[in-house]
Amino acid sequence: MDLPAQVWVQAIVNGLALGWLYVLMALGLTLIMSIMGILQLAHGEVYMIGAYVTYYCCVSFGVNFYAAMFISMVVMAVFGIFMEKFLFRPVRTQILSPIVISLGLTLILMGSAVVGFGLYERSIPRLAQGSFVFLGSAVPKDRIIAVGFAVALLLLLYLFLKKSKYGQAMVASAQSREGALLRGINPNLMSSMAMAIGCALAAAAGTLAGSILMLSPSMGTFPLLKGLVIIVLGGMGSLLGATIGGIFLGVIDGVIPVAFGPAVASMAPLIIVIIILLVRPQGLFGHE
Amino acid sequence: MPLLEIRNLGKRFGGLAAVSELDLDVGQGEIFGLIGPNGAGKTTVLNMVGGTLSPTSGKIIFGDEDITRLPPYRRAQRGIARVFQRDVLFRSLTVLENVLAGFHLLSGMGFTEIFFERPSVRRQEKVLHEKAMEILRFVRLDRQADEMAINLPHGNQRALCLAIALATQAQLFLLDEPLTGMGGEEIEAMMDMIRTLRDGSGITSIVVEHNIRAVIGLCDRVAVLDYGKKIAEGSPKEVVKNPGVIEAYLGVEEDAI
Amino acid sequence: MSRKLLINILSIIFLAAVIIALPITLGSVYWTSILVIMGINILLVSSLRTLKLVGHISLGHVGFSLIGAYGSALLLMKVGISFWIAIFLGGLMAAVIALALAYPFLRVKGIYFVLLTLLTAETFRLIARYWPSLTGGVWGLLRIPPPNPITIPVIGTITFDSVNNYYYLAAVIVSLSLFVLYRLERSRLGFKWRVIQDSEVLAQSVGINVMWHKALNFTIASFFAGIAGALFAHYQHALSPQPTARFGLLASVYLIVYMVVGGESKFAGPIIGTVFLTMVSELARGLEEYRPIMIGAIAILTMLFMPEGLIGLPKRVKLWYRKLLKPKRRVQCPT
Repeated sequence: MDLPAQVWVQAIVNGLALGWLYVLMALGLTLIMSIMGILQLAHGEVYMIGAYVTYYCCVSFGVNFYAAMFISMVVMAVFGIFMEKFLFRPVRTQILSPIVISLGLTLILMGSAVVGFGLYERSIPRLAQGSFVFLGSAVPKDRIIAVGFAVALLLLLYLFLKKSKYGQAMVASAQSREGALLRGINPNLMSSMAMAIGCALAAAAGTLAGSILMLSPSMGTFPLLKGLVIIVLGGMGSLLGATIGGIFLGVIDGVIPVAFGPAVASMAPLIIVIIILLVRPQGLFGHE
Repeated sequence: MPLLEIRNLGKRFGGLAAVSELDLDVGQGEIFGLIGPNGAGKTTVLNMVGGTLSPTSGKIIFGDEDITRLPPYRRAQRGIARVFQRDVLFRSLTVLENVLAGFHLLSGMGFTEIFFERPSVRRQEKVLHEKAMEILRFVRLDRQADEMAINLPHGNQRALCLAIALATQAQLFLLDEPLTGMGGEEIEAMMDMIRTLRDGSGITSIVVEHNIRAVIGLCDRVAVLDYGKKIAEGSPKEVVKNPGVIEAYLGVEEDAI
Repeated sequence: MSRKLLINILSIIFLAAVIIALPITLGSVYWTSILVIMGINILLVSSLRTLKLVGHISLGHVGFSLIGAYGSALLLMKVGISFWIAIFLGGLMAAVIALALAYPFLRVKGIYFVLLTLLTAETFRLIARYWPSLTGGVWGLLRIPPPNPITIPVIGTITFDSVNNYYYLAAVIVSLSLFVLYRLERSRLGFKWRVIQDSEVLAQSVGINVMWHKALNFTIASFFAGIAGALFAHYQHALSPQPTARFGLLASVYLIVYMVVGGESKFAGPIIGTVFLTMVSELARGLEEYRPIMIGAIAILTMLFMPEGLIGLPKRVKLWYRKLLKPKRRVQCPT
């Protein structure tokens, strides 16, 4: 455990960079979960497809990276609205059906990606070359930019939820679906918006991750699990909890492998979540 | 000796005391009414006696036994039956099957019956079937025995809830608003049934109700709760004239007397 | 003998005849091997449905399958216990672990329970992945021996290294297991499970110890998952903790889809679902990469248009037929 300080700093920085991306996933998941009441297990695939959309925009159509990311977010948002209206809304009242539908979506999306894009990995052109030196260790610039984007999106989301009428309605719906209904908030509109925003965030996360790491059809499973861990940690329906939980998990994810090795790193978050689910399922900050 | 003794019962939710310092005795064979304005804590008391809520203070003694810490299923085994405020029924079962479910305590669970049906098991099934039909005849649902429970109109569902409670052979019935949402005739029928249970089988009932007229007609004794505390106790006629009670209900209840 | 009993016995004999004749009729090792895996899946999905009887949906059933698989294989390989006992012990290990987890786990309801089981199965898989000394780590457990040969007095010694013989072994074990599950469901215990699914609160009020009954159910379901896992281990002769293999999240997804497409309201539902989807996968043999897409699409279409599953098909057809036959009412114009 007596590793030089740089390694620790590197670990923490790596963790933070990824953590922010997980936060974007978790925010989408928690919005969808608390407003629509479903566990969107296909969210990882939305992340993945978002990454591939950006890839194709950049590589095949030569679009600028930032524009491509924006396009990807829009495309996935529209896809989200489509999913909500035609797949999830009809079975809104049941318990098993939405789960199975999200599972079916996972199969279709991942299968399509394998067929359409192939199994080998690719990468989106890097956001930036080189790295800063921070506290004695090299921090790749692209990670900083990715985090910057994530933070910017988070702030945008925060502003929207706090200031706009629709945003406040969404917060109300997330806290209590019945309460929101009583206040005359249209649940269908809320669900559509939740899906749209959630999918856009996932697409952004996928894009940013794709530029730091590699793209592959199975890249979505890991962030989905991380997202689930975060929303349980931070609490379902709590956006603050998702944010704090994400950063916390990111740091842990960065540090634990260095400190304890990959085995503990992969299992520790799961076990923590299991314990939380058993003891306080609504998480540290959650409502329902 | 009273059948049920409640001593210093209290329930706090965070800072709010839903029920506090409640002392009650319910005697064998009584129909005991529990009334009070909305939010007075009546259902909370019933929940604590039934075991679905655990008290923050006090004791509940049933027969000789302190049941305060017992889980609900054990209280059912001791002879306490609960009829809930909302129609809680077994949705995927028929009317008859709902009552048969109530006979759980009578029917054992042989493991060998997995592999073959022993004649003794089949005989017991017949006996239980007969008993179930008897109960259904009492609540006048015998003709709907094979209908799905959820297809019954509200009043019949209430009667079915009572039938399930009867099947458990309980001595103490906890009835949470048994008359709510029913029409005049159904109310009379339900009140008759509760009375017959007392007269015919010696069953004790605690009835939480909003319908004051019914309470006066049905209950032997009544306790009034307001903001979680008992403010009056006695015969229905006395309690209703109690100025404190009238004040508690003032502006809330229309049909006070 | 009553007519119903006669029909039942005849159906069983018919089914048994079909099962026995199948490998011979299909005549290829490939098809027989498909049938073995299908049989194991049938047991897995049916035991998954058993858990649904008390109202819990698990995405972690493969976790207990994993315990049974590794358990049985290791007992045979490292301790030298005969397969015939090891398979039972494998199931038992799964059952014991299920029982240990039952009380805290079954308190958790709805989506949270789904999540909980998902993560638990993942944890089991990761334990298998990261414990090389016990489980062979990421390379998995290899060279698992087939079941020990048995000697029957008149017939001689039967070995189980051929797919054909293993098929019959699996058919017997799976059939017995399904029989037990079916009888349990029809018994008073099964009735209590249904009662608990309908309303835990009311079940408590009639004196049912809900937690105990749910724990019993969970233990039994996991036991059979373990048996299924053990059957797989000694057939495949290798176990892998990779996420895309038999014990990963994807496998859990398939199990739920098989159950739901077949229909979870009747016992035969999961069986029909598994058979149907296995056939669909096989028909698309050349298009293996499209398999997840097809299965996913079938799952979604089923939930949207026929949520009760294939089991509900006869009823639907009947209703549709009746609608077709009913003459259109002519409105009488008042004169």
